[in-house]
Amino acid sequence: MTAAEQLRERYAAELRGFGSSLPEDFGAAAAELAPRFSAQQLELWAQAGVALANYSLRSWEASAEYFRASPQVASAMRFEQLMAWARIATELAERSSVVSAAFLKATPEVLEHLPPWQLEPWARQGERLCRGNWKSIALCALYFSSSPRLLAAMSLQRLGELVAVVDALTERSYELATTCVEHAPQIFGALAPRDHEPFLRFAQAVTRVSWADTRLYLERGPALLERVEPEMRSRFLELAARVTADVGRQGFPLFAGAAAALGEIELSQHDAMLAFAGRLAIASPIAAMEYLKSAPFVRTRLTAEQMQQWAESGASVLLEDGNAEGAEAFFRLESTRAEQLMTALTARVELAHVGSTLRLYAKALTGEQVSVRSTEELVERGIGWVTESSATTEGTAIYLPPFISTFEHQDANFQAYKVFATHQAGRMEFGSFRYRFGDDGTQTPSTVHERERRVRGDAPTRATTAMERYFDLFPDRALIAALFTVIEDTRVDAYVGREYGGIRSVLRRLQAHEAQHRPALQGMALRAAFVENLLRASLQAADTMQWPHALEPVLRDGLSALRMVELAEATVQDSAEVAAALYDIAQRIPNVELEPDEQWETPDGDLLEVAASMPGGGAGDVPMPQGEEAEFETPPQPEFRGDFKPELVQLLMQLRQQREGDGEGEGAGSPITQQQLQELLEKSVELSLSGMEEGDIASSLAMFLSGLEKEGGTPQGEPRPEHGQQQGSGEEPVQQDLPVAIEWFHYDEWDFRAADYRPRWCRVGERVAPEGSLDFYQETLQRHHGLVAETRRQFELLRPETFRKIKRLEDGEDLDLDHAIEFLVDKRAGVGPQARIYWRRNKIERDVAVAFLLDMSASTDEEIEKQRPRRNEREDGFDDDPRKYFQWLAQRRAKQAQEPPKRIIDLEKESAVLIVEALEAIGDAYGIYGFSGYGRENVEFYTIKNLDEHFSDRVRKRIAKIDPVRSTRMGPAIRHTVHKLEGFEAKVKILILVSDGRPQDHGYGRDRTEKEYAVHDTKQALLEAKRAGITPFLITVDKEGHDYLGEMCDDIGYEVVADIESLPRRLPSLYRTLATQ
Amino acid sequence: MASTTRRTTASEQAPGKGAGFRSLQVEEFRIKSEPYYLPIADEVELFQTAYAQHMPVLLKGPTGCGKTRFLEYMSWRLHQHVPTRAEEGVPLITVACHEDLTASDLVGRYLLEREETRWIDGPLTRAVKVGAICYLDEIVEARKDTTVLIHPLTDYRRLLPVEKRGELLEAADGFLLVVSYNPGYQSALKDLKHSTRQRFVAIEFDYPPRELEAEIVQREADCSAEVARQLAKLGEKVRNLKEHGLAEGVSTRLLIYAGKLIANGIQSRRACQTAVVWALTDDAEVQRSIEEVVTSIFED
Repeated sequence: MTAAEQLRERYAAELRGFGSSLPEDFGAAAAELAPRFSAQQLELWAQAGVALANYSLRSWEASAEYFRASPQVASAMRFEQLMAWARIATELAERSSVVSAAFLKATPEVLEHLPPWQLEPWARQGERLCRGNWKSIALCALYFSSSPRLLAAMSLQRLGELVAVVDALTERSYELATTCVEHAPQIFGALAPRDHEPFLRFAQAVTRVSWADTRLYLERGPALLERVEPEMRSRFLELAARVTADVGRQGFPLFAGAAAALGEIELSQHDAMLAFAGRLAIASPIAAMEYLKSAPFVRTRLTAEQMQQWAESGASVLLEDGNAEGAEAFFRLESTRAEQLMTALTARVELAHVGSTLRLYAKALTGEQVSVRSTEELVERGIGWVTESSATTEGTAIYLPPFISTFEHQDANFQAYKVFATHQAGRMEFGSFRYRFGDDGTQTPSTVHERERRVRGDAPTRATTAMERYFDLFPDRALIAALFTVIEDTRVDAYVGREYGGIRSVLRRLQAHEAQHRPALQGMALRAAFVENLLRASLQAADTMQWPHALEPVLRDGLSALRMVELAEATVQDSAEVAAALYDIAQRIPNVELEPDEQWETPDGDLLEVAASMPGGGAGDVPMPQGEEAEFETPPQPEFRGDFKPELVQLLMQLRQQREGDGEGEGAGSPITQQQLQELLEKSVELSLSGMEEGDIASSLAMFLSGLEKEGGTPQGEPRPEHGQQQGSGEEPVQQDLPVAIEWFHYDEWDFRAADYRPRWCRVGERVAPEGSLDFYQETLQRHHGLVAETRRQFELLRPETFRKIKRLEDGEDLDLDHAIEFLVDKRAGVGPQARIYWRRNKIERDVAVAFLLDMSASTDEEIEKQRPRRNEREDGFDDDPRKYFQWLAQRRAKQAQEPPKRIIDLEKESAVLIVEALEAIGDAYGIYGFSGYGRENVEFYTIKNLDEHFSDRVRKRIAKIDPVRSTRMGPAIRHTVHKLEGFEAKVKILILVSDGRPQDHGYGRDRTEKEYAVHDTKQALLEAKRAGITPFLITVDKEGHDYLGEMCDDIGYEVVADIESLPRRLPSLYRTLATQ
Repeated sequence: MASTTRRTTASEQAPGKGAGFRSLQVEEFRIKSEPYYLPIADEVELFQTAYAQHMPVLLKGPTGCGKTRFLEYMSWRLHQHVPTRAEEGVPLITVACHEDLTASDLVGRYLLEREETRWIDGPLTRAVKVGAICYLDEIVEARKDTTVLIHPLTDYRRLLPVEKRGELLEAADGFLLVVSYNPGYQSALKDLKHSTRQRFVAIEFDYPPRELEAEIVQREADCSAEVARQLAKLGEKVRNLKEHGLAEGVSTRLLIYAGKLIANGIQSRRACQTAVVWALTDDAEVQRSIEEVVTSIFED
């Protein structure tokens, strides 16, 4: 019997009663171990296993794992180590047999990654996770079972750090902790080993402040990091950890944003950027991350060096001025300074910035009502233009690309814009769209009628526009369109060059730029090459032409014809003629690709200076090469010339004329039918439908058709009945039918921490206030008739006398006899009198405009009764008689039921009524506005009465409808009112803000409780008003108003109306003082 | 005091006349040499006929389009209508109207002199007496009660009541009342009363077409034909902006100023900036746009 068998015999009894497989596992292991260990050792080994099995009810499972793993484990270590291992297992079993089993089972594989002496630390790390409850046991077991894979991906030390993270997570969610462990092998497998440590350190930081983000981080982190320069990842993670330690739960979102942003930046920049961010992080970690986040956007505007310059300026806000909030706003691009600097640095010119300049410019040039818009809009209109990139015009507007960044300098890019605009304006100014069929040009007689006879015989034309009729003459519409475009553009360029000497040089520069970016000529099909050569010649780059030597006479004919339209008086009629002549030439050129060895030459000087003349047909006998015809492809348009669609423009012009009922002009009188439209669109090559599927073409056509009809104005259906007239009942017009027209305005907001404006931060939506019933106004008048009469009288006293006699003047309307005599007497007496003896009537005009801005925030809904201290009931003489008291109470309740308790808003409304009455008496211009809203994007601004609006029943009704709405974002409301006052002409301008409390709104400050931000912004807005020559005045009914108003108003007038009910009385007298200052 | 203005023309200021000034009565002032005026349409003929028929004339048109120059030219040209006078031309008395212009400013007033008062005729009275053309420039600026004063002078009566003296003056044969009026300017606030307005025949002026304006600019500014042509082009383009940011188009006068600056060595873009762009508007946006037009037209 072997030692193993003996052993098995011996323990068979002890092992019975556990799992059925246990004795077998024991036997198998003993058999393998026997040759290696002494009998004594074997004994110890077996005892350890048996002890484990006996340890607890289910510990036999661990024991089984022990026996199963033993042979492999033993082969990797000395016996003492094996026993140590067994001891660890036993200790683990004390906590949980499951954990112990997992430990034992994983050991053989773990040993592939760890030396035997590290088994203990490995086990201890895991043990930390085990807290006795079943969730922790499962997690701990997972740790051991995942260990082989984990250790394949990371070192033991890192694993320990991971455990720390996981351990921290367990305090929140075991589920989350479990997921972390499950995913960890994958995550760390994907990361470079040197990044493990920073990755984990950041994980710890995230877990500490925002445990829920840990999962996100573990899930997304590796992918996010992947796009960061590998060398820089650890640095970035360290930065992120530092930031998180500082900012708490914002840490991960900032990291994610910054990482995504870095991913969009070329890798070579990462080093410098992270170094810079590191510098910022010392003073403001947030600024550092915001810097990274903004980088991709900034990089679209600035070069790397410019961005460096821009960022340095932000850094100086932080490091020199010590203004962290300012720097954060700067890098978040929420500061005017940041934007202005970027605009100043960038070479890129945005249409949004120069659009209005260009609009006036184009208006000046064309003398027409042109607008300048972005090409993006044109595509949306769906009238036949599909490319967003190139400039164009459709006859009433000039469309320009949203930005130009072709050149290195801002000025050059702006000049390019100007050339774009000039060319499009030139098409209008020099009549590109005024082609008339059959008119002679100044250089060429018309041949189109002849051509038409040849093509159509006597059949009448079905064409809608002159341009369409012209294009109908040519079977290859793509070719004639390409030729006509080149020719007409050449003519317009020539005109621009002659008429606008100032931009000639810029035009030449752009032409040269375009000439350098033309497609290669060699290899082009011959006819296309012919057109391309003409185009190059028209770009004044004839020296870049290339053409087969043998066919030179053909090109010569083409060039001399092209030169015709460069003559001073050439018109669009000439362009059409020249294009027709060139069409004849081009038609003879086969569109074949020549053999590569064919001789293409750059024409010599003689050809470059060819004189303008119409082709005489001399080149007709040049032998043409033979070959397979390729389809004609129009050469790409130079950028500054953009799309040219004369056919569509003429159509649009005609549609518009038709809509306006303009009976003049050709083709009028016969309205364009839908069929005609469809035909035109189908024929036209201007729709660039090539490459579309059949179905797409049909749907695009349909879209364009409806777009065009919209442009032309479809016959309007029944005019909608006027609101309010529709029903006989009349009393209750259907309110919801009226769409509320909201006009949006953007205003900056003052960030006092950053000491800078946040550009276009608030969006104010101005709308006309809804109307209520007339009753309120009348009732108020009746209720306060005494007060009304009194204020009216007071205001009437203010009314200026139209003329006042001014006396004692040196010169005037007439002599003032009294003074004249006095003067004579004085003179005789020799007392040196002054000859001020005339009088004159002087007009004194009262010229006051006042805007009332009413707070319509929800808090104005409060009842006034509550605010008022309880009445001195004792003194009311109840004499401790409960009956009297109840009597009083009942009376009061009855009264309340009759008229509901007054709210602050009611008082505001009543005041409005009074002031309106008074101001109507005095004749000052006044406006009444209300404001409320929620959040910066939605500041609601209600027009109850505009400054220039006449007082009417509608205004009365609107006053009735003033209702509490939402928050109080005062700043933008004040700014908008200032904007309104600025647009109004008056010598004295006053803004009176009536509010119930301090400014407050969502996001109007760092958090809900912060009030400083709002107060500062409001103050800034009031100062802006002052700067604009407006006298602002604040009236509040908030008793605590003095606290913040003092700060908010500085030297701006304000008043806290102590007794709220005196507001209606107080307003008029306040107004008097203000307006007569 | 009466706001009488003595208008001089470029042609009158002959060089070498010395720095001394001359003082003369308004009615004695004559335009000695032919002022430069380029007729655009039939305005000369119209005016001549109106003058012969004693019909008061209203000159309508934007500022700086040549209304005053036209009148100077006509005053010079109309000499044959006053056969009794030895001097050439009809005297031209110009009154620039303003808000405080009173009736006495036009008719006359008493002044104290030593122990007594002395009557002094106002410019209108003088014109009525000597048979001059009385030109009330920018009539809308004057107060409405002042403008009523001229009513009896403008119809068949041709009378000027001088209330303070209890006199009634019958206008001399050569007398003609001419007023000017710029309809675009502040039209909403100030408009001519219909009762006033319908007493005049109106001759409408506008800026000359490009070619003629180029001729005028060249002649007046003494600049090259090319510069004049460019300036006229600029004028046309800028006038396209009227009502779109500009209250008034650029006047021929301003174009001439620009031309003079250029002719005297100022860079053309700079000259246009000072004489046209900045003179026209304070709106930075519009300024920028006009400057872009300038830089498109002028090379340096």
